[in-house]
Amino acid sequence: MEQPDKLDIPPGTLELMILTILARGPLHGYGVSQRLTALSGDEFQVNPGSLFPTLYRLEQDGKLKAEWGASENNRQAKFYRLTPAGRRQLERHRSRWARVTLAIAGVLEGA
Amino acid sequence: MTILRRWLAAIAGAWRGERSEQGLDAELRAYVDLSAADKERAGLSPGEARRQALIELGGIEAVKEQVRRGRHGGAIEEIWRDTRYGVRLLRRTPLFSAVVVLTLALAIGANATVFSVVDALLLRSLPVRAPDELVTVSLQRRDATADGGAVGTLSYRMVRLFAEQLDLFAAAGAYSAFRFDVGAADAVVRVPGAVVTGGFFVALGIEPQVGRLLQPADDAPGAPAVAVISDGFWERRFSRRRDAVGQSLLVGGTSVPIVGVAPRGFAGATVGSPADVTIAAAALPQVSPDQAPLLEPGNFWLRVVARPRPGLSREHLTARLEAVWRRSADGVIAPHWPARRRADVAALVPRLAPGGSGSTYLRQIYRAPLIVLLGIVGTVLLIACANLAGLLLTRAASRQRELALRLALGAGRWRVVRQLLAEGAVLAVAGAALGTALAAAASRVLVALMSTSQLPIAIDVGPDLRVLAFVTAVAGGTTLLFAVVPALVATAIDPRQELATGGRASRSRARWLAALVSGQVALALVLLAGAGLFIRTFDNLRRFDSGFDAEGVLVAELQPRHAHDSTVVPALADLPGVTAVSLATHTPLDGWTWTEAVVPAGQPLPERESTVAIGIGPGYFDTLGLRLLGGRAFGASDAAGGAPVAIVNEAYARRHFSRVDVVGARLASRVGGRPHELTVLGVAANTPLSGFRVDPPPTIYLPIAQLPEVIRVTVLVRGVGGPASLARTIEPTLRAAQPGVAVEIAPLASQVGASIAQERILALLGGGFGLMALLLSTMGLHALIAYGVAQRTHELGVRVALGARGPQILRLVVGEGAWLVAIGVAAGIPAAWLASRWVRTLLFGVTPADPVVAASAVAVLTTAAIVAAWVPARRAARTDPLTALRHE
Repeated sequence: MEQPDKLDIPPGTLELMILTILARGPLHGYGVSQRLTALSGDEFQVNPGSLFPTLYRLEQDGKLKAEWGASENNRQAKFYRLTPAGRRQLERHRSRWARVTLAIAGVLEGA
Repeated sequence: MTILRRWLAAIAGAWRGERSEQGLDAELRAYVDLSAADKERAGLSPGEARRQALIELGGIEAVKEQVRRGRHGGAIEEIWRDTRYGVRLLRRTPLFSAVVVLTLALAIGANATVFSVVDALLLRSLPVRAPDELVTVSLQRRDATADGGAVGTLSYRMVRLFAEQLDLFAAAGAYSAFRFDVGAADAVVRVPGAVVTGGFFVALGIEPQVGRLLQPADDAPGAPAVAVISDGFWERRFSRRRDAVGQSLLVGGTSVPIVGVAPRGFAGATVGSPADVTIAAAALPQVSPDQAPLLEPGNFWLRVVARPRPGLSREHLTARLEAVWRRSADGVIAPHWPARRRADVAALVPRLAPGGSGSTYLRQIYRAPLIVLLGIVGTVLLIACANLAGLLLTRAASRQRELALRLALGAGRWRVVRQLLAEGAVLAVAGAALGTALAAAASRVLVALMSTSQLPIAIDVGPDLRVLAFVTAVAGGTTLLFAVVPALVATAIDPRQELATGGRASRSRARWLAALVSGQVALALVLLAGAGLFIRTFDNLRRFDSGFDAEGVLVAELQPRHAHDSTVVPALADLPGVTAVSLATHTPLDGWTWTEAVVPAGQPLPERESTVAIGIGPGYFDTLGLRLLGGRAFGASDAAGGAPVAIVNEAYARRHFSRVDVVGARLASRVGGRPHELTVLGVAANTPLSGFRVDPPPTIYLPIAQLPEVIRVTVLVRGVGGPASLARTIEPTLRAAQPGVAVEIAPLASQVGASIAQERILALLGGGFGLMALLLSTMGLHALIAYGVAQRTHELGVRVALGARGPQILRLVVGEGAWLVAIGVAAGIPAAWLASRWVRTLLFGVTPADPVVAASAVAVLTTAAIVAAWVPARRAARTDPLTALRHE
């Protein structure tokens, strides 16, 4: 299963994207990875070796809460949900990211 | 705050490790299921969908690993998990684990034992304020090398001179170990103590538990004698009652008030000899009048401890001290000495050395043997490591499938190596813990072995931080040594092939096993050869012809006044069982010497005294069983006021007359400071004086009755019926002769034994550890051969089926073992030669390359190895081809 012309996920942004996806509602790990691929227009593909460590770390930090539930096709899966702390983290990340992109855009245009 | 919380979470996480691990497993399986379901919906067959989903996941183990690592405190958690896994595995093979832990405990324990004593004797600082700042001052010849020509002890006046240099030293004092007679006349005991000068406690900067310590005022002429007692003495004598201060001790018959208790843990600056009672030098004549001459300028007996003023460099300080010495030496050197000798001392220069670890004669005696012992136990540990590495290698062989499976499931090689190392670490920690416990007891035994009647050692060898750090480092190093190779070899496999073929011995494992066994044999040979040399040395010294017969002779020190008292010797001689009695200022090997200038009459008297002198009473030669080669012994007529006479030993006669029969010759002497002539009455056989390794020096015996001044006298009693009963017989008479003085009776043989104590230790421990090395290496060889036979059951079965006979198989198997031993011996011989050259100064009567010792070591090792190989080889020779082949 090669993944031609997929983009590398820029370092530090995976957390932001996961939080954003989960802000719309609880999802399991596979769902997060699918949503991320879909939302990025197939440009990003996160592999489980990066996805799960990030999910676990966010959970350990209290940004996410996980519980087992039934998936769409009635399988047991672990669903992640944003906690209030996670929501605040998302806001912070977001405004930061907005500034970063503005700044980069400024540099690129002014050059 | 968040960091703290994270760490707490991490630790909690580690405890929950198991549960979250299972959760992760289920979660990853769910991922695969969901992904596969999606792919199926997209049109793939169920099987293909699942395969694709698994590839996408990229190995459950690998993902789990990444998740663990990503978590905060992941490292702790992993170590914790590895450790628990290791413990679980090891509990499944209790016999294996017990063997490994015990081997490690013995080897690490041996290292911890020797290091505890090294630490206590050579490394530890005194428990005082900033011991690193303290220095000691000695006088050296200007051209002296680091350890030659130094006068480490100084006279009371010299100490005063240096202590007065207040611009150089914040405080300076000096000390000497001493023994006091404490208690009432009928219950007097000899108590180890110290005599110190006024600045001693100030320089150390320690505080009393109760009362006060000695101060400069206590060391002023005419100051009343007061005592400071040690914590141990306070506990034993006074049950730690605070009113002990103010009470008085009867010391040498004088009432001495206790003014304070030294801090806990501090027992004087003489390592190994605790100062239970400390008294100022100026007060010495009050408690021990016999020893009053020590304060005179001709006696060098005090060791300086000083705290330099901050900011003075060592060079600067040394230069200033030199200037002080040049200016004032003349005033402190004994005025009655001959001019030449005074000039010699004045030409010395003061030198500084670190003073914070106190001093002890024990360091001179035991430094070299202890360092050799460290080498020996270190080698034993290496052998143990090689042995256990072999054991782990064969064990890993039986786990090959498990390891292959884990590698196949995506666990990285490093991950599996770490798991195996964790198992090793668990074993090493258990071994180290047990070894440390062993060492606590064994180091006391070692100190008891080193302790002699001449030089009793009382030292706290309890494990301190340094010992614990040492054990930790040793355990860590051990783990690396014995666990790394097996772990690397065991994981250097291709899991696919491994799982497909069911595993065969890997070539690299076989090579490593062989190398480990040969290595053990080589190291064992080094230890055995060394043990042989030390045992030969001890035996040579023990059987050395001392010229006298120490068996059946007891010695006891008397007060010097008894040298001229005619009652003690006849009283002792009348006792039942006593066959001969005499007096002497010194006994052979008692560690004391006295020298005089004595030359044939007509020759000018030299400035320096070079002849050993011993004052003796009538009957000395009979009591010692020392042969007279000519002339006669002293009799009752050779008394004070009689014609001055002397007996010389053979070495003296040969040195000064070039012949032995010199009876009647006249000698010139300055004994007692007065030049006069002596007539030679007899010639005695040589006896060793300061040890068997030194040639007996030219010696002159003088009638003790004709000596004007005697500072020390020993009574020698020869008798029948064993030393203990003889001691009981003579003790009342000795007590009665000197009330208020402790009586200590020792066999002369123990003095002789004490003079070879270090050789005895090396022979004993060298031999013991040599045996241990032999045992370990033969066990290693046995295990290797047994393993090889088990691995090759199939091959041996085929050979037998094809007609090989038992003896042929036997030869085949033993032959392989013989090869390994031969390689080990070939490597061990040059190593042993190098090692014995390293210890050659400790040998006596045997050269490092002694062929008998080397041949015996090789013979012992080879014989043991053949026996070790024989047992599994016999089993191999009896292989039943049918069973062997069915075995597949």
